Amino acid sequence: MTTENAVYWDPYRPEFWMNPYPVFKRLRQEAPLYRNEQYDFYALSRFSDVERGLTDKDSFSSSRGDILEYIKAQMPRPKGLFIWEDPPLHTVHRGVLSRVFTPRRMNELEGKIRAYCARCLDPLVGAGGFDFVKDLGAEMPMRVIGMLLGIPEEDQVGIREKVDAALRTEAGKPLQASQVRNSGEEFAEYIDWRAKHPSSDLMSDLLQVEFQDETGTRRKLTREEILIFVNLLAGAGNETTTRLIGWTGKVLSEHPGQRAELVENPTLIPNAIEELLRFEPPGPSVARYVMKDVEIHGQTVPAGTAMLLLVAAANRDESRYPDGDRFDIHRKGPPHITFGRGIHACLGAALARIEGRVALDEVLKRFPNWTADLDNAKLSSTSTVRGWDTLPAFTGGGGRNAVRREAAPAATTESAIAQPTAGTEGWELTLSAPMGPQVMTAHIVRNGESFSGTMSSAEMTAQEISGTVSGNTLSWTLPLTKPVAIKLGFEAAIEGDKIAGEVKLGMFGKGALTGKRI
Amino acid sequence: MPKVTYIEFNGDEYVLNIDPGLSVMEGAVNNNVGGIIAECRGACSCATCHVYVDPSWVSRIGEKNDTEASMLECVCDPQPNSRLACQIKVTEQLEGLVVRLPQKQT
Ligand code: HEM
Ligand code: FES
Repeated sequence: MTTENAVYWDPYRPEFWMNPYPVFKRLRQEAPLYRNEQYDFYALSRFSDVERGLTDKDSFSSSRGDILEYIKAQMPRPKGLFIWEDPPLHTVHRGVLSRVFTPRRMNELEGKIRAYCARCLDPLVGAGGFDFVKDLGAEMPMRVIGMLLGIPEEDQVGIREKVDAALRTEAGKPLQASQVRNSGEEFAEYIDWRAKHPSSDLMSDLLQVEFQDETGTRRKLTREEILIFVNLLAGAGNETTTRLIGWTGKVLSEHPGQRAELVENPTLIPNAIEELLRFEPPGPSVARYVMKDVEIHGQTVPAGTAMLLLVAAANRDESRYPDGDRFDIHRKGPPHITFGRGIHACLGAALARIEGRVALDEVLKRFPNWTADLDNAKLSSTSTVRGWDTLPAFTGGGGRNAVRREAAPAATTESAIAQPTAGTEGWELTLSAPMGPQVMTAHIVRNGESFSGTMSSAEMTAQEISGTVSGNTLSWTLPLTKPVAIKLGFEAAIEGDKIAGEVKLGMFGKGALTGKRI
Repeated sequence: MPKVTYIEFNGDEYVLNIDPGLSVMEGAVNNNVGGIIAECRGACSCATCHVYVDPSWVSRIGEKNDTEASMLECVCDPQPNSRLACQIKVTEQLEGLVVRLPQKQT
């Protein structure tokens, strides 16, 4: 290979990160084991190689960090920061955190996250535009971690700024070893306060939980260890999720047809978030320290070097994702590798997914159309994350809720795109239930004697429904999980623009159902 | 080698010979059974290896521990026979095991 033709890749050139994908494609094809002499690292870009790098923990160690500059600088790392530990320490530390950082705790936050998004977005309805990052993405993940920890809100901005600053790099420069502080002193005051005022949050659990440490001793966590865990959650769960929300705004702006489908059918949102995570992973790479000589693509990678695993390149590997450069919310097939793999796979993936889905759902409800103002947007790339610092967008009128609120006049040309497609009927339903009247929205498409569609409400993300049509009567069921697990059975007759009938509420008996066309 | 049958949500069936000692998750991932993601590769911390164990097998595969039970709270459409495939070790006694995959893992 001649020098002119060989792929050269400088990860510290900011321009590179504007669109890294053509170079990543060349790396996959021409240099699947890439060696950068200048900065002295290797890189893997094909899916199978990246996956192996993440799962072969004996060859590729996290014990010197998972960021290239840290590995090279041989930074001291506090014990307990398990993202940068190998087993057996990693096993002990991740084990104790995952005992309190449970799926149930994450799921319980959904309603609060939704309410928070509503609080951010409601004032922006009718404003003509908003910033996906500044107005939503930058604040929300930090608040969520705050909710999880039980940090009183007014203190959260300061804490987040300190943590983010500790991880941010200056454009064009490798992260400076001196920037790193992981002692978590920012949280110390709060921990002491919570120790005196126990509650039901994660912090209270961390103060209580007992575990067996690496010496076999059963004990509680020290204050120092709690600080490290909290800092890890804040460091790992904040900017990554912010970037996901920014990419959501950018990519869907460029795919208005697919966005309209999401407005129409919100049950597609989870798959759309997976595709966004594949297409523009907020963390494009992770690094490892090579523990022993490894043979890759016919070459020996020597022990003692740093290996960069290019998640963003792997996610577009054509051998796994046909037409991988195309964004497709309907994409089926193998999952992305954005949350890593193996023992270090993202502990917060479930939470990040909830955040991404709820944010998108709440945006679409209010803003079915937007155009990202890329001239005034700013992309930044650090050693850990890539995404938008600001992403202003122009918004039209309309939105699923707005349609309901405003009923008639606001149909501008823009909101016309978001009108449900021909054949879709929308109904606003009110059911009288033991817990008081509940308002729900249904969008359905009929197909002879059956129909399918979605139902949603302020408390409930859209759920798929299907049912039967007999004359002017519709029948369908809806399984609810919250506030109690119960299957609702609906039967209602349509009279012009009105609908009325009843709903069976399982063990709670029956309730009346009324509604109108929207 | 014990045979394990995986039935995808769309009805596709895979009958695979799995080395004893591997988990039902590893058997699926090694053979590219699409319906299992297994992000954490067996650390019991991602719940993306959810399967429904055929009712006739439920009592024969052993109990789930607390961690698994807690992870199962977040899977889509949990059922009494829901399990995490990474927590089921394949043994000769499991010859003929049948598991069904859920519609989605996340
Ligand atoms: C879209 C958002 C997110 C992305 C793309 C992401 C990505 C990742 C990746 C790739 C890793 C593995 C790093 C490695 O192998 O070296 C990881 C680890 C981790 N993530 Fe996330 N993450 C996100 C959100 C979150 C959230 C919201 C939290 C928690 C609140 C979180 C907590 C963690 C923790 C604790 C680890 C360390 C796990 C270990 O080393 O065992 N992440 N994340
Ligand atoms: S592979 Fe992650 S829980 Fe089974």
